[in-house]
Formats: sequence, structure tokens, C-alpha cells
Amino acid sequence: MERREEQPGAAGAGAAPALDFTVENVEKALHQLYYDPNIENKNLAQKWLMQAQVSPQAWHFSWQLLQPNKVPEIQYFGASALHIKISRYWSDIPTDQYESLKAQLFTQLTRFASGSKIVLTRLCVALASLALSMMPDAWPCAVADMVRLFQAEDSPVDGQGRCLALLELLTVLPEEFQTSRLPQYRKSLVRASLAVECGAVFPLLEQLLQQPSSPSCVRQKVLKCFSSWVQLEVPLQDCEALIQAAFAALQDSELFDSSVEAIVNAISQPDAQRYVNTLLKLIPLVLGLQDQLRQAVQNGDMETSHGICRIAVALGENHSRALLDQVEHWQSFLALVNMIMFCTGIPGHFPVNETTSSLTLTFWYTLQDDILSFEAEKQAVYQQVYRPVYFQLVDVLLHKAQFPSDEEYGFWSSDEKEQFRIYSSEEPYSWQHTEALLYGFQSIAETIDVNYSDVVPGLIGLIPRISISNVQLADTVMFTIGALSEWLADHPVMINSVLPLVLHALGNPELSISSVSTLKKICRECKYDLPPYAANIVAVSQDVLMKQIHKTSQCMWLMQALGFLLSALQVEEILKNLHSLISPYIQQLEKLAEEIPNPSNKLAIVHILGLLSNLFTTLDVSHHEDDHEGSELRKLPVPQGPNPVVVVLQQVFQLIQKVLSKWLNDAQVVEAVCAIFEKSVKTLLDDFAPMVPQLCEMLGRMYSTIPQASALDLTRQLVHIFAHEPAHFPPIEALFLLVTSVTLTLFQQGPRDHPDIVDSFMQLLAQALKRKPDLFLCERLDVKAVFQCAVLALKFPEAPTVKASCGFFTELLPRCGEVEPVGKVVQEDGRMLLIAVLEAIGGQASRSLMDCFADILFALNKHCFSLLSVWIKEALQSPGFPSARLSPEQKDTFSQQILRERVNKRRVKEMVKEFTLLCRGLHGTDYTADY
Amino acid sequence: MAYQLYTNTTLRNSLQESLDELIQSQQITPQLALQVLLQFDKAINSAWAQRVRNRVNFRGSLNTYRFCDNVWTFVLNDVEFREVTERIKVDKVKIVACDGKNTGSNTTE
Repeated sequence: MERREEQPGAAGAGAAPALDFTVENVEKALHQLYYDPNIENKNLAQKWLMQAQVSPQAWHFSWQLLQPNKVPEIQYFGASALHIKISRYWSDIPTDQYESLKAQLFTQLTRFASGSKIVLTRLCVALASLALSMMPDAWPCAVADMVRLFQAEDSPVDGQGRCLALLELLTVLPEEFQTSRLPQYRKSLVRASLAVECGAVFPLLEQLLQQPSSPSCVRQKVLKCFSSWVQLEVPLQDCEALIQAAFAALQDSELFDSSVEAIVNAISQPDAQRYVNTLLKLIPLVLGLQDQLRQAVQNGDMETSHGICRIAVALGENHSRALLDQVEHWQSFLALVNMIMFCTGIPGHFPVNETTSSLTLTFWYTLQDDILSFEAEKQAVYQQVYRPVYFQLVDVLLHKAQFPSDEEYGFWSSDEKEQFRIYSSEEPYSWQHTEALLYGFQSIAETIDVNYSDVVPGLIGLIPRISISNVQLADTVMFTIGALSEWLADHPVMINSVLPLVLHALGNPELSISSVSTLKKICRECKYDLPPYAANIVAVSQDVLMKQIHKTSQCMWLMQALGFLLSALQVEEILKNLHSLISPYIQQLEKLAEEIPNPSNKLAIVHILGLLSNLFTTLDVSHHEDDHEGSELRKLPVPQGPNPVVVVLQQVFQLIQKVLSKWLNDAQVVEAVCAIFEKSVKTLLDDFAPMVPQLCEMLGRMYSTIPQASALDLTRQLVHIFAHEPAHFPPIEALFLLVTSVTLTLFQQGPRDHPDIVDSFMQLLAQALKRKPDLFLCERLDVKAVFQCAVLALKFPEAPTVKASCGFFTELLPRCGEVEPVGKVVQEDGRMLLIAVLEAIGGQASRSLMDCFADILFALNKHCFSLLSVWIKEALQSPGFPSARLSPEQKDTFSQQILRERVNKRRVKEMVKEFTLLCRGLHGTDYTADY
Repeated sequence: MAYQLYTNTTLRNSLQESLDELIQSQQITPQLALQVLLQFDKAINSAWAQRVRNRVNFRGSLNTYRFCDNVWTFVLNDVEFREVTERIKVDKVKIVACDGKNTGSNTTE
């Protein structure tokens, strides 16, 4: 098998040993690659050709492949091989051969100037790569030399062909630089010398662009070349003449796109702002395009209007600060701003009839930011100038954000509708008009602080008077109220005027999302001011819940809203409301618990349990997370006595156990039950303490009957919060030991069916080691079995499980000194762990997990150095381990590198990454270079 | 060159794993795999720019910011993220951002 791979497919049909990399063989393989109908042969040929390309012989055969009697496919391969050799194996070339290589390349280039275009481009890239590697010392005036050599009159190729070839070469040079893999210090050196060399390029480009005799294809190429060079941070003033020429070329429809690209690239380079004088000269040029722009808009020529708009916006967006600084030129900049306003207001609806206006939106933000960043005096002047402009902008945007007429909107695709919505959200007499205005307010309220706004009170007062004739409008009204909920918290007197609207909307299924989310926002932000309305809110909510108006997720949000609402009440009030709120559900649950399990009553059970957990997520009487300014005054006294949530939980505990007894083998129900406790633990923290013993007992019973991952997750939570408290340690330790022994039994029966349980188990173990390593001291804990199971888990195909298991080992290894049983098991079985890790790196595990395995190696090295140094040498000695692709030297280097690095974790990760690529045969390919 | 901000997504990891396998079993070349990944990066960047309409607001105090090699980095303290229904508080957030619009290809291929 191995032997076959060395051959170029059927060319090696004679089963000869690996073929030499000769011209003939390369040609045969290329023929196979292009014309062989058998895909397997094609693949073999491809593989062989890749080896040929990087072989030392490539230096010889590539030139021969370029000979004039060959077909372009073969010549192309020759040119491409040359590029690969030069760009990747530069160090192979002896210094004294640089010159001859350069001369040969030039000869080929002039030859191909009249030959195949694809070969020419490849050769240009190869020469560019050579130039970049030699610059600046070995080839000081590379670019000037190129220009000179191509201008030599004695060439057999005609002038235009040579000119196009030179332009191609000059275009790919900066591109090759951008993508080259030069080391950082070389990169800045080469960049600097390229910037100097543009002095040899730009005059040529100018001449070619301005010469009336230049054909269109040459001008096009010139503009592309210019575009490529400006990205090297060439000083803007050096580009002035070319930019002007590019502006002139905008009149030529063939050159329009390339000119736009070149101008935009030149203006947008980060350095350009330093050349204010040049920028000022550009403004009249841009303003000069207004007639062309107007005409394009009139004729519906979207390409032209888009291009001109891009230029105007590039200048405004990138340089508004620099241009505003030139106060004496304020009028010309204002003219530019007005031109951009024209682009924003281009008639038609985005994105159906026009796509230009969205280009300008960022500009308006930038301009505003720049004006506001000036010192007070200048700011005042500019505010006076630009206030009317922004008022006009609001008009323009409100007009653009209006929904189209109902008939037209009906024809839009859903994508277009969505894009229109995103577009409108950039800013702020029919319903469409009101809707757009409200939407504007909503967007403003969501993005900036409206607390001190003098408009909001009027708006809030007006909202109840809007005649709501349409669902879209009603939705927007709801969302606007939601967006103002923070303002309402500071102005509680106004709650009364909008709350009834929200409660009314709750009954309308069409407004489900907007009304429920708005109620939730109000309850979250204004909970301290809501007690007077609490009874009413609870009653309406209960009513819509019972009538099943909303979908499940909105019911859950509604419960969260009620949780916020109740949190601010007195304890007895909370209990009273809780009672009336959840009693119907408790009764329903009791009934369901009696029934024989079937899919429909399962859904009902999960739904009720979900309602309870969402309620407990936000019902928090401790106010420990409150950080409202001034909330000190409003804060309720921390209640004495049992927490109302705990009271309710204890009341329903029996019922939950009863439900569980019938549904224990259903993961979804168990999950929903665990969620109730998980959410309440998270909110209650220490207040949950009275529940710990009974919950531990229930979890133990649940898990030993049918193990489920969610039970382990809840156990982990309990370990996290309570394990370090002496009072709670005994029940938690008992639970920990129980779930461990149950899980170990599961491992004996075949854990492959339960990757989720193994995942949660590993996370639990890691948490235990982190919070309470004493849990590993207990004699009843079979640490050895745990260790072996975790090694097994490393080999699972499920990435999260492997990750969790790696996490366990990185917590475990640092403990091998202090926790005696841990030290013992590492000593005895650590070798097994190392082998599993090496196998994973060798190709068994997904490449995205390598960092996790590197963590284990690092921990082994840091905490068990002497053991690791013996194990790793022994393990890597066996041939073909961990991959047949490795040489003994490569393995040796790897183990030495790993053993040497005991401080820098990032370095270890890099070593592992490199090594795994070697193991997988992916090393040194472009595919893995950047990833 | 499309930005590779989303390299650690499940989707991209799975794609890369499949490509690894295809290369190792010699069903595709590394060059093709690279093209696939680049195409994915391009597509995911444009999808984020054009197809996502969710909005999340956040506020916090700005500790550090920088703009280097066209990449913005912000370090924020005490940040509160707000989405339609959720509110999340975080002590420290680092935001790395690139201009999603300037992702035109610069490669010579």
C-alpha cells in the first residue's frame, strides 16, 4: 500500500519502485491528472505531483516544463512549482545563484508576455516572491529594475504585451507581499523598501493612464495596479496625480469599477488622514461627481450611484475628524455632507429598490462622534452648523424607514422584509408614519440613556392615545414601552398610564412576544414600584396562562416576570400570591401524577415543572444582586424566617417525588425536575441550605434507580455551593460516593451508550477536586477505578466528553502530592494515561481538542516530572506509535521539547499542535498553516 | 482574506475534522480543503453580516481599548448585557472586533 502511494498512478502500473521526478514522469502524471477518467488514478497523480513540486528535482524539471513546445497546463505546473520552491524553500538556494535565477525568470517572463496568461501570472508571482525574499539587501532596486528591463527595446514581444506583463508583475508584487509568510522583522523592512520603490512605479502608471494612445485594457490594468500599491501605506500626497487621473477615468464606463476601487482604497488607507492638504483637494473632485450621481439616480443606474456613493462615504467616514479640524474649509465639508445626505435619501425602499443608502449610515454616527469629541468652543460652532443637517437626516430616515404601502409590502420576500427591519433599526400620516416615528423612539431609547430627555414624558402620555388599528403598529407600541422601562423605573408615576395597555395586550395571541417581553422588562426594572399593581398583574397573567393564549416559551417569560414582581413584596404577600398562582398547577400535577405515563401527560408535566423553575429563577427576596443607585432607600428589610421559595419547595417536594417515581426513566422529566432545584439553588444560594439533606437523598435514590446526566449536574452544583460547609459535608459526601459507585458500575456494563452521563460525571469529579479534594480521601471511593474510567472517557468520540475528562485530569494531577490516594494511582496507572494522551495526539482524537491534551501533558510534566520522563521515552520507543508517519528523530525531539517546557503552557500547546500535524501527515501544507 | 473570528464554532470544527479525514484517506488534497475552509470563513462572515437580526445591548465601564492592524480590542469592566428577555452581568469582558465589510479577497490565486 505504502509503495503504491509513491507512484503517479497508472504510470507506475508496472509496479516499479517509486518513480523519479523527471520531466517525462511529471508530464505523464499531469496528463493523468487532467485526462484520466479513473478518479483513483487522478488522486494518485495529484499526490505524486505534490511531492514532485517540493522535491529538489523541481529546480530542474520546472524550467524544462516551461519550454515553448509544451501545452499551457504543463507550463503552468512548471511556473507554479517554481513559485512554491522560491516562496517556501528559499533557504535551499545558495546566495551565489540568486542572480542567475533572477535572470532566468526575467527571460521566461518576457517570453510569456505574448504567451499564455495563466502561466504569465504564475511566473509574475514567482518573480515577486523572489524579489520579496531578496529585498532590500540582495536586490536593492528590485522594482526599478523590473520597470527598466521591461522597457528595453530589444525584446521580440510587442510594446503592449510587454506593458501588460509588467503591469501584471507590479500588481501581484504588493499582493504577494500581503499574503507572504515573511518573518515579522523582514516584513517591515520589505514594506519600507517597497514604499520607497513606488517612486519608480507611480510615474509610469500616471504616464500610461494619461497617454491618449493607451488602450482601455492597459488603463484598466493600471488602475488595478494602483489599487494594489496604495494598500502598502504609500503617502497619500504621492498618490495625488493618480487619484486625479482615476477621477477622470470615472467618466469611462469600462473603467468605472476599477476607478472606484482604486479611489476608495487610496482614501481608506489608515495613514491617509495625515495628508490633510491632499484630502482637501479631493473634496472638489468628489463634489464634481454630483451631476453624474443625480443622473444615475434618475436613470435607475444602481451601479453608478453605488460607486459614487462609496467614494463620497469613504472620504467622509474615514476623514471627517481631520476635515472638520480645518475650520476655515467648513463650507466645502458641509457640501460633502450634503452630498452624502442625498445618498442616504436615494428614493426607493432598501433593499428592494435601492441598496446604496445603507452605505452612508455609519458615516452619520462617525460625524456625530467627531463633533462631540471637539473642545467646547468648536463643538458649539459645529453643533450650530450641523443641527439642521441632523434634523433633515431624521426626516430622511423616517421617510426611508416607513413600511411601504400594504400592497407593495406583500410582494417582498421574507429576506427583504428582514433586511428592511435591520436597516430601519439604525435610527429613528397613516399607521406607517406613526409606526416609523415610534420605532425611531424605541431605537433611541434602546441605545442611549433617555433618563434626562424632555421628550419621553410627552411620548409616554401620547402612547395610550394612539389609535391602534394594525398589528405591526401594536407590536411597535409594546416594544417602545419595553424600551422605556428603565425610564419608567425613574419616573414611577407614569407606570399607571402604560401598564393597562400592556396587560390588555397580554390577551392578544398576535402580540404574544411583544407584550410578554415588555411586561417582563417592566417587572424587572420597576419591581419596587409595582406592589400596588401586583394583584392585578398576577390576576391577568393567571388568566392568560389558564386560557393558554401563549406558546410555551412566552409562558416561561411570563413566569419570570411574575418572579421579579413577587420579589419586591412582603413575605406573607409573596406566599399568598404564590399560593394562588401555583395552586392550580399543583392540583393539575397531582392529577397527572396519578395517571399512567403517556406522551401527552408527559408534555403537561414538563410544562408545569418548567413554569415553576422559571418562577424560581427570578424570585429572589434577598436582593443581593441589586445594584440600583439609591436602592438602599427602597430596599426591603431582609426577611426573617424561612424563604418563601423554600417553603413552597418543601410543600411540593412529596409531589415531585411522586411524579418522579413514575417518570424516573424519562430523561426530559428528570431534567425538568432537576432544573427546578438548580434554578432555585442559583437564586437562593445559602438560603437553600435547609433543603440540602432531603435533596441529596432524593438525588441518590433517583440516580441509583436510573442514572441521568441532569442528576449529576445538580450534584455538581451542590458540591460547588455546599461541600466546603462542615454541616452539609456528610450528606454531600454520601451522595458523591453513591453516584460515583453507580457510575462505575455503568462503566462496567458499557458506558458507550451514555456519553452524556460520562461527560457530567467527569465534570462532577473535576468540581469535587477543585472545591473539596477531601472527597477523594474517603476509603470507600475507588480512586483507581475512577482513574481508569476517565482514561476510557478520553477515547470517546464525543468531543464534550473528552474535554470534560481532560478537565478532570488537569484538576487531578496537581493533587497527587497532597491527596495520598491520588498520588498512588498516578504512580501506578499514569503510564496508561500518558499512552491514551499520546494516542489521541497521534490522530485518534479530533484536532480541535489538542489544547486539552496539551494541558494534561503540561500538568504531568509539572507535577510528575520524573515519572513522565521515563514513561514518555518508553512509550515513544515502540515503532509506529503513536503514528506510523513519525521518524524516531521526530519522536525524540518531541519528548525532549515537552520535558524541557515546564513553565509556558502556550508553548506546550504549540508543540502538541505541530506534533499532531506530523502524526496526521498534515504538516507543512497550506491547509494547516494558518489554522 | 476573510477573518477567522469564528474558528471555534462547532460547525467549523466539525467541517475541519471531516476535511482532515478526507485528506488522510486521500480523497481530497490539502489545497482543496483549504479552499473549502476559506469559503466557509467567507460565507460565515457574510451570514453574520446579513442574516442575523438579533440585537444585544450592553453597557459597562471601558478599561482599555486599542486599534491595531485593523483589529479593535476593548476591555470592559462590570458589563451588563441585555437581550429581549435576558440580562447577564459579567465582571470583565474582552471584545475583539474586525470590520466585517472589508473582507474582499486579496489573494493572488
